[in-house]
Amino acid sequence: MTSHAIKAAKFLGNEARADWHDETLWIVRQKRDRMAASVPEWESLREQASQIKEEALANLDVYLEQFESEAVKNGATVLWAADADEFNRIILNIIQKHKTKNVVKSKSMLTEECGLNHFLLEKGIEVVDTDLGERIIQFRHEAPSHIVLPAIHLKKEEIGETFHEKLGTEKGASDPTYLTRAARKHLREKFLAAEIAMTGVNFAVAETGSVVVCTNEGNADMGVQAAPVQIHCMGIEKIVPRQEDLGVFTRLLARNATGQPVTTYTSHYMRPKPGGAMYIVIVDNGRSKHLGKPKYAAALKCIRCGGCMNTCPVFRRSGGHSYGYVIPGPIGSILAPERSKSGCPDLPFASTLCGSCSNVCPVKIDIHEQLYCWRQDLTEQGKTALSKRLVMQAAGVVLASNGLYNFAGAAGRWAVGHLPRNLLYMPLNVWGKGRELPIPPKESFKKWYGKNKNHGK
Amino acid sequence: MSKQSILESIRQNKPDFQRETGKPEQKPVPVSKSQTTALKSFISALEATGGEVVECSAAEADSLISEKFPGILDFTRPEIREKYGEETPLSEFDKIETALLNGAFGVAENGAVWIEDRDMPRRIIPFIAQHLVLKTEASQIVGTMQEAYRRINLSGTGYGVFIAGPSKTADIEQSLVYGAHGAVRLTVVIPKMPDFEA
Repeated sequence: MTSHAIKAAKFLGNEARADWHDETLWIVRQKRDRMAASVPEWESLREQASQIKEEALANLDVYLEQFESEAVKNGATVLWAADADEFNRIILNIIQKHKTKNVVKSKSMLTEECGLNHFLLEKGIEVVDTDLGERIIQFRHEAPSHIVLPAIHLKKEEIGETFHEKLGTEKGASDPTYLTRAARKHLREKFLAAEIAMTGVNFAVAETGSVVVCTNEGNADMGVQAAPVQIHCMGIEKIVPRQEDLGVFTRLLARNATGQPVTTYTSHYMRPKPGGAMYIVIVDNGRSKHLGKPKYAAALKCIRCGGCMNTCPVFRRSGGHSYGYVIPGPIGSILAPERSKSGCPDLPFASTLCGSCSNVCPVKIDIHEQLYCWRQDLTEQGKTALSKRLVMQAAGVVLASNGLYNFAGAAGRWAVGHLPRNLLYMPLNVWGKGRELPIPPKESFKKWYGKNKNHGK
Repeated sequence: MSKQSILESIRQNKPDFQRETGKPEQKPVPVSKSQTTALKSFISALEATGGEVVECSAAEADSLISEKFPGILDFTRPEIREKYGEETPLSEFDKIETALLNGAFGVAENGAVWIEDRDMPRRIIPFIAQHLVLKTEASQIVGTMQEAYRRINLSGTGYGVFIAGPSKTADIEQSLVYGAHGAVRLTVVIPKMPDFEA
C-alpha cells in the first residue's frame, strides 16, 4: 500500500472519529453551497477571479516589481527569498536586529512550508502561534491537518487535556467556550509582550503596495497592532494587480472556505505604525519553476480557501495528516509532486477523480484534471510504487492481446468461483481490502454478444 | 538578496495564459437597489455574524449611546483621542471595556464596516476593546464588497480594516465561540438623518 493509504487506514481505525470528521466537513461544504447560491453572480465572480489570477501570473515579474516599489514608497522594507533556507535566515536576521525573543505569529502556511518554527527553535527562539487551532497543535507538537481548520482532527476532550497540562485549566474540562477563554487570556499576555508580529498574506495589491490578511479571530491584528515590528510573509503568487480586484476575492474567499459571507476581519496593511517597522518578505521556494509547467501552472492561482478539502470524499475519510505534505487534500496533491522534497508520488492517486474539487474551486483550477495528468507523468518517470507499475504493465500486455485477454477473462471467471477465499483475498489483492469481488457471469460478454447480436432483427 | 534571480526565473517560466497586462473584462458591479433595502440586508447580515444593531435618529444618537453603554470611551471626541495617543502604554488599552469608533460605511451583503487610521488614534483599539461600538450612518451602506472597494482609497491611509461582527473561532470541534482575541461583543449604532428614505 502507498503511504497515503497506510495513514488513511490508521485514521479510519477510529471509526467514530472518522465519521465525525467526514460529517463535520460535509456540513461546512453545505454551508458553502448555501452561501454560493445566495450570490446570483457567483459563477461570474469565479470566472473573474480566475482571469485576474491568470493575468497576474502571466505578468508576475511586472506586478511584483510594481508591488515592491509601491510598498517601499509606503515605508515598508521588502525582502526576497529564493528558497526556504533564505527565508528562514531573513526572518532570523530581522529578529536578531531587533534584539528580541518575543515573537507572535498568525496563520501562515508559507512558514509551515519553510519549517520556520523548527528553524527558529533551534536558534533558541520560540515563536508563539496565535490562531487558536494553531496554538493547540503547537502545544501538542503536531502539524495542521487542514489549512483553514488546523485542529479539525482533534476532539475537545483532547484539547481540554492539553490545556490542563499547558495552561492549567481544570482537569477534565472540555467546554469550548471555557477553553477558548483560557486561550484568550494566555495569548493576550503574549500579544502585549510581543515585539515582533508575523503574519501570512492573503492578497498583495501591486497597485498600492499593501497586503491584505483575513482572519475571524483577530489574531493577526492583535499581534501586528501591539508589536512595534510587523513582518508579512508571502509567496510570489499572492499578487493581485489592482485594489478593485479585492472586491472579487473577498466576496469568494470566506463564502467558499467556511460558508461565511466574509471573514470577521479583512485587514489592509499599508504603512508601518508611527515609530514602528514593517517588513514584507516575498518567497519563491519552487513557485517560479512551477509557473513554467504548462499543465500545472494553474495550481498557483489557489487562494487557500480549503473548499476542495471539505468536499473531497477521500480527504473527509482520510484526514489531513494522511497526505504527508504541508497542504493536504486535492490542491495539496497537485502541489506536492512539483514542490515537495519527496515528490509525494502517491498523492495524485489519493483521489476518486470525481471532479468535485474543481467544481467548488473559487478560481477554477482544473484540480482533478491535473491529478490525472500527474498520475501519467509520475508513472512515466517511474516514481510510482513498484506494485502499481507491475500491475499496470501486466494489464497493458493482456489488454493488447486478443488471445491473452480471452484467456485472462476465462481464468478470472473460473478463479472467483473456485479458489479459496484466503487465496483470492491475499495481501497482494489491495483492491479486495474492504471490497468484495463480484460474482462472475457464466460466460464473457464477447460470447454472449456473438449469440445475441442478431436477436430481434 | 535573491530578487533578480527570482524575477529572472519568473520571466523564463511565464505561463502562457494568453492574457495581456491590464484588466480582464469586468462584469458590471451589482448596485444596491435602494437605501432602505441596503440597510435591511446590512442589518440581517450583521446580526447573522453575531453583531448587535441599534437604529436611532441622528439627533438622539449621542445620548442613546451614553445611556445604553455607560462608561464608553468615545474616540470620536478629540480629548479622548489625545488621552490615548502614541505615548500611552498598551496596558491602558488593555483596560478598555467599551470603545466607540466612527465606521465610514457598511456593506449590505456581509455586515462589514470599514474603519481606517483617521477613525482611531491607535490601530489596536478596535481589537483590544472587550466591546466595540461602531457608529455608521444609515445612508452610508453600499451593496457589495465590489462597491466598497470603489469607495476606499488605500493609498490615502496607513491601515484600514473591514470588521464584520465580534471576533470568533470554531477551532474546537467547530463549536462557535465569540471573543477569540478581539472584541467579544460588537454593536453597530445606525443613526438616520431626517432625510433618510423610509
